[in-house]
Amino acid sequence: MYKKSDLRDLSNIIKWDLMKLKNQKIFLAMRLSWFIVQITVFARVISLIVRGFTGFDYFEFYLLGIYSSLLYTSSISRGYVLADEFDSGIVEYHLSLPVKRSVLVIGRILGSAISALLFTLPMMFVILIILKLITMVLEIIVSIITAFLFSIGVVSFVVLVVLRFKSGDATDIFFGTIDALLIRLSSVFYPLPIIARIAPYYYVALVNPITHFSDFIRIIFIPEYVLYTLNPIGMVMYILALAIGLLVLLIDYYEKKLEAGSWK
Amino acid sequence: MIREEIRAVLLVAYRDLARFWRYRYWLFGQIVMNIADIAIFGLIFRGIVNRELIPDYLKFITPGVLSLSIFISSFSIGREVGMELRREVTHYFLSLPIKRGGFVTGRLLGGLARGFIYQTGFLILALILLNPPSLMGWILIISTSIMLALIMSSLSISLTTITRDFNLQATIRSLVYNVLFFVSNIFYPKRVVEARLGSASFIVDYSPLTMATNIYRWSFKYDLSINPMISFLGLAIWVIVILPLAYKLYIRNLV
Repeated sequence: MYKKSDLRDLSNIIKWDLMKLKNQKIFLAMRLSWFIVQITVFARVISLIVRGFTGFDYFEFYLLGIYSSLLYTSSISRGYVLADEFDSGIVEYHLSLPVKRSVLVIGRILGSAISALLFTLPMMFVILIILKLITMVLEIIVSIITAFLFSIGVVSFVVLVVLRFKSGDATDIFFGTIDALLIRLSSVFYPLPIIARIAPYYYVALVNPITHFSDFIRIIFIPEYVLYTLNPIGMVMYILALAIGLLVLLIDYYEKKLEAGSWK
Repeated sequence: MIREEIRAVLLVAYRDLARFWRYRYWLFGQIVMNIADIAIFGLIFRGIVNRELIPDYLKFITPGVLSLSIFISSFSIGREVGMELRREVTHYFLSLPIKRGGFVTGRLLGGLARGFIYQTGFLILALILLNPPSLMGWILIISTSIMLALIMSSLSISLTTITRDFNLQATIRSLVYNVLFFVSNIFYPKRVVEARLGSASFIVDYSPLTMATNIYRWSFKYDLSINPMISFLGLAIWVIVILPLAYKLYIRNLV
């Protein structure tokens, strides 16, 4: 049974995660600058060599896809933060606190998801300004909520993997690989009907949550894009199910299996 | 005496190469990524590219991937140098019976060897997908790969030694990595860059990745209208500038 004090603990844990964002100002500034190079040089030039699609422009398609990949990468990077915390004994310290493990893990996941979201919001607004979509308030709110759910799913997955590996090197290599690979095996850069020409690639893209998130926010801002992708309600349900499912798995792991130590 | 120095330099380079194999999973991941790039760009992106601008995107991107393979592998040495500085492994290095100059030269050679070994598989792939180079082409390919590997390992080492803060090291490396990655002609031809960026498009020409890609495109007979010697000269200038800089920065920050 949860009490009022659990809510206070939850809010403290979330705040602890958010406070660490203050140390990432330089990181954010640099990330923003390379993002600007990416959209002003790469996106503009690459969209010129792509033939036209009916109903949408590749530049719009690419920019909204890039936001999805940014949020995904930011959420994945929480895995490195956690690996660092294991290295310096912070996880052991957390486990020793008089806080329920379920509260601890929910707090860490929500805090990390909010951090990832806040970190990418400047990039999202840059995209919306460039695409002249900044006045679509309702659509922006829906996309932020979906982004938050997506981030919860990715962060839960990342934490689950880090706790299983318990190794800094393995974490580094695993996430370095899947970070780039999953983005490539999604609809971030190519619409699904184009991917469908290669069946195995298409099926991987269909189960890839990045495909569902990127295509859903495309539909929000470019309604015509619905002709090129799956059912939007199905996509939201997929993102929601993934977030809840992975979070529940993680809570179970924290409560029943996680022990301090044996970090490699 | 000189023979001993050379032996020590080679030993440091060999040690770096041996460490490269320790990261075989990372290496495997990178290779998969590069092959995926060729496959995805070739099979998927080719389907949406305007054929009037680029008739066969697979052939267009392959020489660029050769540059990327050197870039990625040689750049990786900066990550390790950064870790050594943070964990103060450098103190151990300084205690070794080798001159500092020899040690730094060994590290740079290590980066070069990594790039070269990593690229071999992609060279074979390029041979399958593109036309076989002439003797002159091979000479240019090998010397370009050597110069590009030296430039990238020097650049990566220089950037890493600027700070001991892990996050800042990673961020600076990522920033430079992405700028070099996007501001080059690997993914798009020059005239498309000119059409979009106008007078600012000249920046692309100064990238070492553009220069190397131009040489590879000429050598594999993808685009014979390119003058490879101009790019070759440009790469040589990059080496002359960046190599002593990396050497000095690394020596200064070793202590």
